[in-house]
Amino acid sequence: MAASSLADRFVYYALHHPRRIAWVMALSTVLIIALAAVPNFVRVPGLHPVTVDTDPENMLAEDEPVRVFHDRAKATFDLSDMVVVGIVNDRHPEGVFNPGSLEKIHRLTNFARNLSWPDPDNPGEREGVIEADMIAPSMVDNIEQGGLGEVTFSWLMATPPATQEEALAIRERALNIPFLNDTLVSGDGKAVALYLPLTSKDVSYRVRRELLDFTAGWQGDESVYITGLPVAEDTFGVEMFIQMAISAPLAMLVIFLLLWWFFKRLVMVVSPMLVAIVSALSTMGLLVISGNTIHIMSSMIPIFIMPIAVLDAVHILSEFFDRYPVHRDRRKTTEEVMRTLFKPMLFTTLTTMAGFASLALTPIPPVQVFGIFVAIGVFLAWLWTILFIPAYLMLIPESRLEGYGHEGSAGEEDHTPMGRSLAWLGNVTCARPRLILAGTLIIGALSGWGITLIQINDNPINWFDEDHAIRVADRVLNDHFGGTYMAYLSLKPGEADSDFDGGALLSELDRRRQDLVESGLPAQPFNRLEGKVREVASQSTDAASGLAALTRFAEEQMATAEGDAYFAWDEVMLMLDGIRQGSEVFKQPQTLAWMENLQKHLEGNERVGKVNSLPDIVKTVHRELLLGKPSEFRIPDSTNAVGQTLITYQNSHRPQDLWHFVTPDYRQASLWLQLTSGDNRDMEAVMADLEAFVADNPPPAGIEPEWFGLTYINVVWQDKMVRGMLGAFAGSFVVVLAMMVVLFRSVLFGLLSMIPLTFTVGLIYGIIGLIGKDYDMPVAILSALSLGLAVDYAIHFLARAREAVARAGDWRSAVPIVFGEPARAISRNAIVLSAGFLPLLAAPLVPYQTVGIFIATIILSAGVATLVILPALVTLLQRWLFK
Amino acid sequence: MKPVKHIICMVFLSLSAALPAAGAEEQQPSLEEIVHRANQVAYYQGRDGRAQVQMLITDSQGRHRQRSFTILRRDGPDTDAVADRAYLGEQQFYVYFHRPADVNKMVFMVHKKPGENDDRWLYLPALDLVKRIAASDKRTSFVGSHYYYEDVSGRSIDADHHELVDVTDNYYVLKHTPKEPGEVEFDHYLMYVHRETFIPVQTEYFDSQGNKYRVARALKVETIQGYPTVTEAVMEDLDSGGKTRMRYNQVTYDIGMPEAVFTERYLRSPPRQYLR
Repeated sequence: MAASSLADRFVYYALHHPRRIAWVMALSTVLIIALAAVPNFVRVPGLHPVTVDTDPENMLAEDEPVRVFHDRAKATFDLSDMVVVGIVNDRHPEGVFNPGSLEKIHRLTNFARNLSWPDPDNPGEREGVIEADMIAPSMVDNIEQGGLGEVTFSWLMATPPATQEEALAIRERALNIPFLNDTLVSGDGKAVALYLPLTSKDVSYRVRRELLDFTAGWQGDESVYITGLPVAEDTFGVEMFIQMAISAPLAMLVIFLLLWWFFKRLVMVVSPMLVAIVSALSTMGLLVISGNTIHIMSSMIPIFIMPIAVLDAVHILSEFFDRYPVHRDRRKTTEEVMRTLFKPMLFTTLTTMAGFASLALTPIPPVQVFGIFVAIGVFLAWLWTILFIPAYLMLIPESRLEGYGHEGSAGEEDHTPMGRSLAWLGNVTCARPRLILAGTLIIGALSGWGITLIQINDNPINWFDEDHAIRVADRVLNDHFGGTYMAYLSLKPGEADSDFDGGALLSELDRRRQDLVESGLPAQPFNRLEGKVREVASQSTDAASGLAALTRFAEEQMATAEGDAYFAWDEVMLMLDGIRQGSEVFKQPQTLAWMENLQKHLEGNERVGKVNSLPDIVKTVHRELLLGKPSEFRIPDSTNAVGQTLITYQNSHRPQDLWHFVTPDYRQASLWLQLTSGDNRDMEAVMADLEAFVADNPPPAGIEPEWFGLTYINVVWQDKMVRGMLGAFAGSFVVVLAMMVVLFRSVLFGLLSMIPLTFTVGLIYGIIGLIGKDYDMPVAILSALSLGLAVDYAIHFLARAREAVARAGDWRSAVPIVFGEPARAISRNAIVLSAGFLPLLAAPLVPYQTVGIFIATIILSAGVATLVILPALVTLLQRWLFK
Repeated sequence: MKPVKHIICMVFLSLSAALPAAGAEEQQPSLEEIVHRANQVAYYQGRDGRAQVQMLITDSQGRHRQRSFTILRRDGPDTDAVADRAYLGEQQFYVYFHRPADVNKMVFMVHKKPGENDDRWLYLPALDLVKRIAASDKRTSFVGSHYYYEDVSGRSIDADHHELVDVTDNYYVLKHTPKEPGEVEFDHYLMYVHRETFIPVQTEYFDSQGNKYRVARALKVETIQGYPTVTEAVMEDLDSGGKTRMRYNQVTYDIGMPEAVFTERYLRSPPRQYLR
């Protein structure tokens, strides 16, 4: 057999050159680490320093259309990702609306305004908080009634108030302005939120830290809460690395202690640890050398590689431990162990690699990188396991193995608790196979039902523990305010190019010429334009560029015109401008009315706390122009009235705020939605609401709505992830099945070997559905891991079962053999690995907890399924299995 | 700082061309005189004046918006004399909008009275509405441009402390520090006043961190009816990267406009004969 001769060669080499193997392993690892580490200190051509990327946006490829649109729309509307800083006072009856609290808010605002620093990547630029777009009481405008027939523009809180009355007046004013109500001032009037737009998301951790440091010394009843998706994402990135440095070693420690307990001798247990560390370090080193970034996904690579790396080594040690007492010769024992295990280990490695490599088929770049590098790590682990573990065993002096080995190994009787339980298990499973099959089917059915209950959902805030400061801030602020999760809806008319209509323009020109010439202006400019109109019309161009050509022409003429000719050209320009404004969709009252209804409809969703929009601005200014009467809080009747309302608004301190809601050409508008939840499920509900509204209320002017914003982006990549993972799982399932059929040269064995895996995956996802745990990013990734791990035990079990039947003659006599060494190896493996991942439960980051508990469950379930369901099925099918 | 210097030089060249060569070295005027001469040249030349203004607002993304309006100005005092602040007195502005088309016929009117708050009116034809506008301060945007209302109508000399920080070959460099720092967004501003014409050629605003964030520049100067007149100017917002350019066309001085033109009555029915 090809595999066993290969095994012989490998093992022979390892056994004869143990020192060389150890050196090669050590040197190659050091070399890889050096290549990855050196570029961080010295620039080396062709090598890359470690780059950390914690941006979930990168779950989508840079050129993904959704992301391209998101970036473009953000630029168009000058929108930035925002940190939300809430200040709450639960002690004072009026909340923060008292002179003391407002003075602190004022100071905090002034601190935040200057929270920027030179950008190290772009000399001359600054990064940090974008002062001009901040929303804070002292930085927003208030428009209201002054004296009789007077309208006032002033800073909402130019200076902190001196008296309680003034403090309440500030609240009164803010609550009267829709843009500020529930955004700046909480609906209950107790709290204030500052919105700090950032030059980029990745400064939010620093901004948050500096704000917290600034407010740390505050005496009084004010509490400061900081949240927002950028903060969550950036903070997660930072804490993730701390966690990686704690969790992975901790898991290793627990595995180490358990191995020590099982295999007694420290000297034996060191080798699997070395293999795991070497594999994990080399893989991460290769990741860096190949220029990949360390992303949320890739940071988990060591945690996935370590158990898999240990797994094979444990099989070898377990066998060695059991057989050594028989031979009392490490070389002979090792040779025998490796001959038995080589083929199953090769195949378990190949299946695991297939499981992870299948992730390369998902459309999500970080997941692809993750899958490929875990596969590489698994390969390295296999290579060092079959080379280094035998070499290591050879390097242990025989004298130190004196009296080493499993107590019951010498004879068939095993009196250890594990030995006895396994023997009992073997008897029961083979005696009552139908009962076990029935139980399996019942659990399977329950799991199937659970799977139908699965909620696909994710929310970066929920990556933090329940009592993490960011989670707390998230709860408090979303309780008080319109919401800290931002989504935006772009509205834009479809590009329907109409042809330039010279006829209509000429008759309008005629009409105006007559009037103006009568009023004493010269006719010549009008005649010149007439000629130009005819010229443009003959070129059959579209309306917009035709008009632009005419405007350019008139501008040029006007620049040199003197006296009355100047004024005549000015009139020509006025006419052309009037025609241009016909295309200003978002100044038209019917468009604004449609937006107003859309806004109302969206606000009907309980997760939509607030919508800020162009119609709100128009209505507010209109009301204040008309004596502040509530009945005038409406959209004016004519386009000109809308235009004049908007130019009045632009006489404020912050005219640029308007361009967050509409482009200067009034051809594209955006609604700013504040959601109280960042759950993808809730965002999806809002998206469905939009679709329902648009179906019932066809948009005017062919407006096409399109979402953008971080909350929406998360929905998109999640959707891709779920689909991608399903496809990858189905694909690799088929590949593994095919490999099993080849390995066992039997369709029946192949199918059988897939049963523990299928059962485990079903059980895991069934439990997820039943307990209502959201199917999120880490959960999705776990399906790949279970594929890799669960099939391993089945391969070992079936391979050994076949061997035992060949030796013992039939299945019944083979059962005690199978439930001896092989079952012990599987049990030790399952116990060590599942326990090894329990420390992850103590991590403050939820994805780590999820990974920890589910890896443990997968391993345990796969072990149990292998040792319970497989023997029962083998018993039932023995006639066909062993012909 | 090279580009700035370059532009100052360009303006200086056009100034030299526009003006007859100054006589022999004059005695340096007092700080008080420089401040008032600059103020007078910028906002008080002639008894009255009119200009057709083409305003082009460009944002950081390069998107343009246009405004076109007529400015009428009338000074109370009969004299331009700087001595004893004789030129300073009541002043009225009447700004009539032509474009964009939807604000056509909109009027913005200001009455400035020394030592008092300005009175401001807005007439919105589409709503047939005359509104008094009270702004807590004068540093709000002028119709969405990068100019503040105060840049258009002039900042009161008495609002700042003045210092002469430098005298170069061509300029007196004045530093103005606000008396009421809480009312303005700047920490101080520097003004480069041309030594012969007293035109403030460049004004630079600094924040409390010492960063220059806003610059006003005269781009073109012409002599009209004997008055050196800025006919093209730009205001740049260095933080956002946006800017507003103003072109003054058809400038005329000493028209003889009656005070009655600058009253509420004329908001609804503009004084056609004075607008052209």
